[in-house]
Amino acid sequence: MEYKEVVGRRRTIRYFQSWRQVEREKIQIMLEAARVASCAVNATFLKAIVVIRDNIPRATLDALKTPVSGLNIELAPVHIYTYADMGAYKGAQARLKKLVDVGALNATHGWSHKFVDEFVWPNILKPLSDGGTQPSVTAAVGYDAGIAVCQAMLAAVDEGLGVCLSAFQHEAINKIVKAPPEWIPLFVLLVGYPAESWEAGGQRPRPPLEEIFFEGEYGKPFKGDPKVTEQMKVAKMIQAPAPLPWRKEEIKALARMFGLPE
Amino acid sequence: MASINKPLEEYNSVKTWFAGLRDQSGIDPHDDPSRVAFLKEFCASLELDPDEIVSACLLKKEGKETKISIKGRRSMAERITDFQAAGADARERPKRGNTIRSFLIHNGILLQSGIQI
Repeated sequence: MEYKEVVGRRRTIRYFQSWRQVEREKIQIMLEAARVASCAVNATFLKAIVVIRDNIPRATLDALKTPVSGLNIELAPVHIYTYADMGAYKGAQARLKKLVDVGALNATHGWSHKFVDEFVWPNILKPLSDGGTQPSVTAAVGYDAGIAVCQAMLAAVDEGLGVCLSAFQHEAINKIVKAPPEWIPLFVLLVGYPAESWEAGGQRPRPPLEEIFFEGEYGKPFKGDPKVTEQMKVAKMIQAPAPLPWRKEEIKALARMFGLPE
Repeated sequence: MASINKPLEEYNSVKTWFAGLRDQSGIDPHDDPSRVAFLKEFCASLELDPDEIVSACLLKKEGKETKISIKGRRSMAERITDFQAAGADARERPKRGNTIRSFLIHNGILLQSGIQI
């Protein structure tokens, strides 16, 4: 699938084929997509633990559910528990120098081993690796983790899978996954084959471009070119908006298939 | 504790439920008479009218936003499970539970029971 169509097709899938396992190779593809994502100081802040739902004891599965995520957690055959690793700054000195060695960080931009060793590491990164917990750092780490998760989600869509980010009860799953204490629990990425159609009722409503993006300064909307919008429709990045005419019938059928309230 | 002294459809919570079924779920609330019959039976088992059942799941305090009561909702979920279990067969049981869940959901009380098959 072309990239723009993958972006356009991604939806939060809330009905999974609970009976159908996901091929391990597809999970690996998702994880690889996350691994190669952009990350500050070459630190992979996202950490994740893949768990097959059927390996989670029933009592733990029930305890994982939040009021709004219970059904999603139950339906998805694969759970990827994601965390922001606040300890990922450790080792950043060596990783940055590696970027210098491979020609990613260059003298053209002021980078050298000496700069990393004598300025970047002692003044910026070491304090962070020693336990910097100011909100801006936590937000930055979460930001990078989100980028990586997004790539995994798009890779999943490209593989014909459905994905859904859900909250989860960390204490409950941690008895099984045993995440290190410096990992901040983010979301569980639920993965499976969609039981609903891939359109899932149509592309979700979002505010127009002009309302959320600005040009030059806040308050001056970034105006989209209608011709480009049309191109995005042709490329299937912009798709038919929800609700598609048959959505209510689809939900009725799903509710009856799974025995859910209507 | 009130007894049901008028047709169920005249209670505000039932009107809200029916409107939700029609507008959100695209279902004619009258297409299946068992819907109202199950709610009536559930009300009788709790000795509460439909509006009182919804209220039992809420936490209302003077001058504060109404919240969903965790205790109330949990207790109601248990009553629904019991009500569901009393069904005649495997086909009727989930229908009984989900009818009551649907009634509460459309009245703003989040309930997720999981798959009932």
